[in-house]
Amino acid sequence: MRRKLFGGAWRRRALHGLDEEIRAHLEQEVEVNIARGMSVEEARRQARIAFGSISLVHEDSRAAWRWSWQEHVRQDVRYALRTLRKSPSFAAVALLALSLGIGANTAIFTLIDALLLRSLPVPSAGQLLQISMTPGDARESQLSDSLSYPVVRALADQRDVFDGVGGFSTFTFDAGPPDNVRRTQGAFVTGAFFDAMGLVPAAGRLLTTDDDRIDAPLVAVITDGYWERAFARDPRIIGQPYRVNGRAVSIVGVSPPGFTGAHVGWVADITLPVSSVVQVRPELSSLLGPGNIWLRVLARPRAGVSEDQVAAALALRWPELSQAAIAPTFTAERRTGIRNARFAFRPGTTGWTNLRDLFRRPLYVLMTLVGLVMLIACANVAGLLLARGAARQKEIAVRLALGAGRGRLVRQLFTESLILSLGSAVLGICVAQFLSRYLVDVLATGPLTVTFDLTATSHVLAFTVALSLATTVLFGLVPAWKATARGPVDALKTVRGIAPRGRLLPSVVTAQVALCLVLLVGAGLFIQTLRNLQARKTGFEHQGVLLIDVAGQRPRSFYRDALDIVRRLPGVMSASVSTNTPLSGAGWSEKVTIDGVTQERELSFLAVSAQYFQTLQTPILRGRDFAETDEWSLARVAIVNETFARRYFPQTDPIGRHFSASVATPSVDLEIVGIVSDVIGNNLRAAPPATVYVPYFQVQVMSQNFSSLQVRVDGPSEPLANAIRRELQLRMPEAPVEIRSLTAQVDSASVPERLVTSLSTGLGVVALVLAAIGLYGLLTYSVATRTREIGIRVALGANRLGVIALVLRQGARLALAGIAIGIVVAAALSRFIAGMLFGLTPLDPATFVGVSVLLATIALLASGIPARRATRVDPLLSIRAE
Amino acid sequence: MSTKSDQGQIALLQGTLDLLILRTLRLGPAHGHAIVKAIESGSDDVLLVEQGSLYPALHRLIERGWITFDEGTSENNRRAKFYRLTAKGRKQLDIETSRWEKLSGAIARILRPAPQE
Repeated sequence: MRRKLFGGAWRRRALHGLDEEIRAHLEQEVEVNIARGMSVEEARRQARIAFGSISLVHEDSRAAWRWSWQEHVRQDVRYALRTLRKSPSFAAVALLALSLGIGANTAIFTLIDALLLRSLPVPSAGQLLQISMTPGDARESQLSDSLSYPVVRALADQRDVFDGVGGFSTFTFDAGPPDNVRRTQGAFVTGAFFDAMGLVPAAGRLLTTDDDRIDAPLVAVITDGYWERAFARDPRIIGQPYRVNGRAVSIVGVSPPGFTGAHVGWVADITLPVSSVVQVRPELSSLLGPGNIWLRVLARPRAGVSEDQVAAALALRWPELSQAAIAPTFTAERRTGIRNARFAFRPGTTGWTNLRDLFRRPLYVLMTLVGLVMLIACANVAGLLLARGAARQKEIAVRLALGAGRGRLVRQLFTESLILSLGSAVLGICVAQFLSRYLVDVLATGPLTVTFDLTATSHVLAFTVALSLATTVLFGLVPAWKATARGPVDALKTVRGIAPRGRLLPSVVTAQVALCLVLLVGAGLFIQTLRNLQARKTGFEHQGVLLIDVAGQRPRSFYRDALDIVRRLPGVMSASVSTNTPLSGAGWSEKVTIDGVTQERELSFLAVSAQYFQTLQTPILRGRDFAETDEWSLARVAIVNETFARRYFPQTDPIGRHFSASVATPSVDLEIVGIVSDVIGNNLRAAPPATVYVPYFQVQVMSQNFSSLQVRVDGPSEPLANAIRRELQLRMPEAPVEIRSLTAQVDSASVPERLVTSLSTGLGVVALVLAAIGLYGLLTYSVATRTREIGIRVALGANRLGVIALVLRQGARLALAGIAIGIVVAAALSRFIAGMLFGLTPLDPATFVGVSVLLATIALLASGIPARRATRVDPLLSIRAE
Repeated sequence: MSTKSDQGQIALLQGTLDLLILRTLRLGPAHGHAIVKAIESGSDDVLLVEQGSLYPALHRLIERGWITFDEGTSENNRRAKFYRLTAKGRKQLDIETSRWEKLSGAIARILRPAPQE
């Protein structure tokens, strides 16, 4: 065994010292001979005769060892490395092309894996079911991903069907010692959540149903990562109180390493039982009631209970269970809807995330694009290898003629390809690391702080290796086969100067151009989409506005004081408070009654203070702004936007008209005092919704618990943000003062678009460079092999221009064929991304024409250098060369 | 190695050297010169080993895993390899011995036919 594994070393050891061994042998023989009575001279002579030829012994001893396969491989590798070193530009381009291809594919796949494919790190994740609900309401056939707290508890009680049912929702807490309160990602979970996950704590214990009671002491479970970061894995913190939202909460345990909650991408460092919401966020106590549908549900059915059995059992019991889902205040219509609701089941293996809906399509599109880049890279390298193989035919022919086995030659060329692709795989992993980090950075500017475990998992690695191996086979064997297919005699006869007219090489180049065009069309469409989105009239000016998060239940006086303080700071032009800001992702909507008719659609509502429109620079078209006096007045007023005015008062002037809304129960009458420009809502692509603004201090609504301040600043915002933070921190000691820019909020609304655009542009450039190199390489090779033909043409009177035209024509033919094919393919494919585009059709003529022209120009430039080279062919030299 | 007749000595047949080395090493480890001498003296100096050919044979046997070696010092204080039989070589020796016996028996029967019954 040892001998087989370490064949080479063992042989070296056996052969080592053979010289000395032979000398010792001879000396002993001489001694024996002398003992027999020979003279020293004679004894030596006889010993040499008896021994035979020493050099032959050396040779035969060496020959006694069969060469092991490892040694053959080592020899092949050494040879391949030597040949690659001899053509560094070929090696560099091939390595670069492949490693970019492999790296980009791995990075995107890593992200897809993290977001869409990876199982939750819990035992038997495959058993988990995600439970959602279809309301029986005929009008809403939409699936609700969330269930209310009473329903989740009722489900958890069905112990004969489920081993555990866990409800969870992400939440942000203000946690830490009083001098270092930090906004910390967390979650609320129902008592049976950890049971359903089947987790074993890393320390202490996990939450149980006993913790999830209104009267239970406040407890929390933290992640292993948070234990490490915040407590340096100190076991003494278990059972100790910790401050969360200003309340003392005992940390009872640490969840196992790797588990960060069931919401993929959201690391829930601190997890509290749902019922503790009453104490840590009292204003949100209604979350415990049936009216709030906010918990995602993962359930683990009992062993042997199938999904169908679960569905049947729940359908049977729902009439009884549904009582828990109905509050006395519900309308008859809503009650019927709930009673007729049906459960729906989906596999819960990979947990839950809203990022999936947001990024699934962009990621699959990117996967397709990087797949195209990989194909281009393969085609490029295949082209390079084909050209190289053809150029090396002479060398190969000589080696074949000298008796090299064909199998051995193929293997040697294969080794070269293998080295290239494995080397690229290693480089590709580096590229992937870099790119993944970039992707996560872009995602981090998004609507949610997301964290992924992007360490290469086994199937990402397997994917890369499979990819590089497939590449090897793809481009390694074709040239190897071709190079040896012709017999040695035939190959030796090849006259340099007349190119063998293969069809494979040109078609590989054409394919590159075609693929490149497809990619560039995609990139062009995305660039234009992003530009259209950014050029949209948003109805406000985001530059120079700071947003200060003041979420939480606070007295009115807090907001008044905060505004007073901020407005007094030098550099502040205006400041306001509102329930919501454009593109924040949150919203408040309700129905209005106009002229006694309750409108079908719910309208968007915002409670805003004076100076709100000034701060956002939303023009007031008619009427007036809210004034400080509105805040104290009993007259209820509203400002509406253009869309509202156009839709509900098409003929008349809305100023001074009244309508009612249940801003407070019962409905109140509102007088329209002004009309403002339309402002985009939460969706960058949608038309601005009909919107009603009411004075912030006149109303009392739930949304005010999520208020923010808006501050328009003059000059640099950083020092002012620090001043604001300093002043406000004194007023809200229990939470960190979080200040963002409105610009960041606007940017975060287009993260998927920016991600796709920046990556597809980058990939497009890579593809363009590769296609140019491919074309350049082919033409250079072609010129080199046609020197004789060119020489004859020149000798017969062809002028410089004629020679240039000859080469350019060849390049143009390939490029134009590629462009034509590419246009057809791109036109066929682009409709699949129609839904991701904005403001242009998938067949946008400008993009198609622009990309074609760009590609044609690059092709012309790439052909120029070889064309010039062709003009330098000396007719006499080239004809005489053979 | 052609058969030559010099003072009644016989040069070795192809392949028999391997068998003789294995047989010699059965008695214990030995270095190259000792093996040659043991074969010569064991056959009452009838068998003549061309001494140099011993070494390729040794390497062949190492390569096949039938013998192995330890490094040591010879009687004349030179670095030398002491060869010894492996378990595999021991098995091989049995196989080779019985094969040789069959072969030599068969040859003997042909050369000296048994009396007819």
